Amino acid sequence: MGSHSKGRNKSYDYSFKILLIGDSGVGKSSLLLSFISNLVHDLSPTIGVDFKVKLLTIGGKRLKLTIWDTAGQERFGTLTSSYYRGSHGIILVYDVTRRETFTNVLDIWAKEVQLYSTNHECIKILLGNKETERAVTREEGLALAQEHKWFFLECSAKTRENVQQCFKDLTLKVLEVPSLLGNGSAVVKRQILAQKKLDPRSSGTGGCCS
Amino acid sequence: MEKKRTDDYEPGPIPSPRPLDRFGFVKQEPNSSPDGLTRGRPAHEYEREEGRVRKWRKMIGVGGSDWKHYVRRKPHVVRRRIRKGIPDCLRGLVWQLISGSRDLLLMNPGVYEQLVIYETSASELDIIRDISRTFPSHVFFQQRHGPGQRSLYNVLKAYSVFDRDVGYVQGMGFLAGLLLLYMSEEDAFWLLVALLKGAVHAPMEGLYLAGLPLVQQYLFQFDHLVREHLPKLGEHFSQEMINPSMYASQWFITVFSYSFPFHLALRVWDVFLYETKLPFEKLIHALRNFPEDAMDPDTLLPLAYSMKVSKRL
Repeated sequence: MGSHSKGRNKSYDYSFKILLIGDSGVGKSSLLLSFISNLVHDLSPTIGVDFKVKLLTIGGKRLKLTIWDTAGQERFGTLTSSYYRGSHGIILVYDVTRRETFTNVLDIWAKEVQLYSTNHECIKILLGNKETERAVTREEGLALAQEHKWFFLECSAKTRENVQQCFKDLTLKVLEVPSLLGNGSAVVKRQILAQKKLDPRSSGTGGCCS
Repeated sequence: MEKKRTDDYEPGPIPSPRPLDRFGFVKQEPNSSPDGLTRGRPAHEYEREEGRVRKWRKMIGVGGSDWKHYVRRKPHVVRRRIRKGIPDCLRGLVWQLISGSRDLLLMNPGVYEQLVIYETSASELDIIRDISRTFPSHVFFQQRHGPGQRSLYNVLKAYSVFDRDVGYVQGMGFLAGLLLLYMSEEDAFWLLVALLKGAVHAPMEGLYLAGLPLVQQYLFQFDHLVREHLPKLGEHFSQEMINPSMYASQWFITVFSYSFPFHLALRVWDVFLYETKLPFEKLIHALRNFPEDAMDPDTLLPLAYSMKVSKRL
């Protein structure tokens, strides 16, 4: 379960919402764990959604990153789709050793982003995880990323190579986009609260008996 | 549970023996468990446990022969005893009796074998990918391609063929895994069927069908219960933009078998299999008492059942 935010006195300048998406088993949760805690061990599949909070200082700004880790299986789309909303950064993860996870970036995940993401200037990073016995070349990853104006990186949750770099790069890019910075302050909070009241999902199921 | 011996018929390095808790999970930090289950238990507790097992055996009869009769005659006694927890050595049998899965098994001879051996499933690769990630810290499921992992695969594959609308959804593995710790493959399969198709209870397949309708319903109910019974906490959650889907969807999708302390998950299963009404939403009390004693089932369950839940929910 997600960590508690430390301290009541808003000890950060900006709060960013980061989303991890990609096929089941590509290593989203491992990347997150590797980023948050320096630990690397076998994890259970993510069921529904999970999140972690990380406070860090980059470029003299104190930042609070709330990182949403989603289940990769398609059936969970109904739970995970609402987490795209208001994201400042989205990390599209694939496994370089499994080609279908790469083709699904285009066939599934890019479409989900288009459909559900509300910040059009939201920063996207394409991230190839694992790096052994590859089935997808670095060049292919780079080409796909360039085509969509995403950033591109390869990393390994296991050796922790490039993991910190990925989140740091993403955060720096978010800091460069004025419209996202506006969203990173308290404004976004009220927006989301207002949206939630209109969300059809939170009504209409009433009256059922279990 | 008995400590598993290293397998001498399988090649590969012998894992160094690690301390296990009474359920067979590798202990995270030895001697620091606060749940009171790993500490040595005094002799009188064993005697009390023995007494309870004797009572239970009498109630069940040989192989469950007296069970239906007893439940019809004294349902309140059964309910009281189940709320105190089914003795671990009888849990597998009793779960099969109260869920109606035993009847399904007897009515469908050979069906499970057919599903496992002759049918193919579109979900086979998805299932395989999750097998080693299901209860990875339990000794029964740790060995690659060992008996635990093989049974888990068979049950999940059989179910994905049996019910192609549901197929395989991540989370089902934890239900199947929990069951396999207490019964054979075929029994576990029929209990899964009894639950999802509703032999005795309302069917729970909505946890896994497209759109996850039952999960959405539980989340909705849970949200209202938080607001109704814990208004201060509900307000705080609103302020911080926390909604139940962020922390509770995994509880419901896995019927508490995924992230709850194992001894608590078992007690929840005891009561929810018997009382056709699910106790899930009542577990909200865990939040009120958190964290002092809420994770002790003997505290949590009576509390949960003392709560009034609006009929509208």
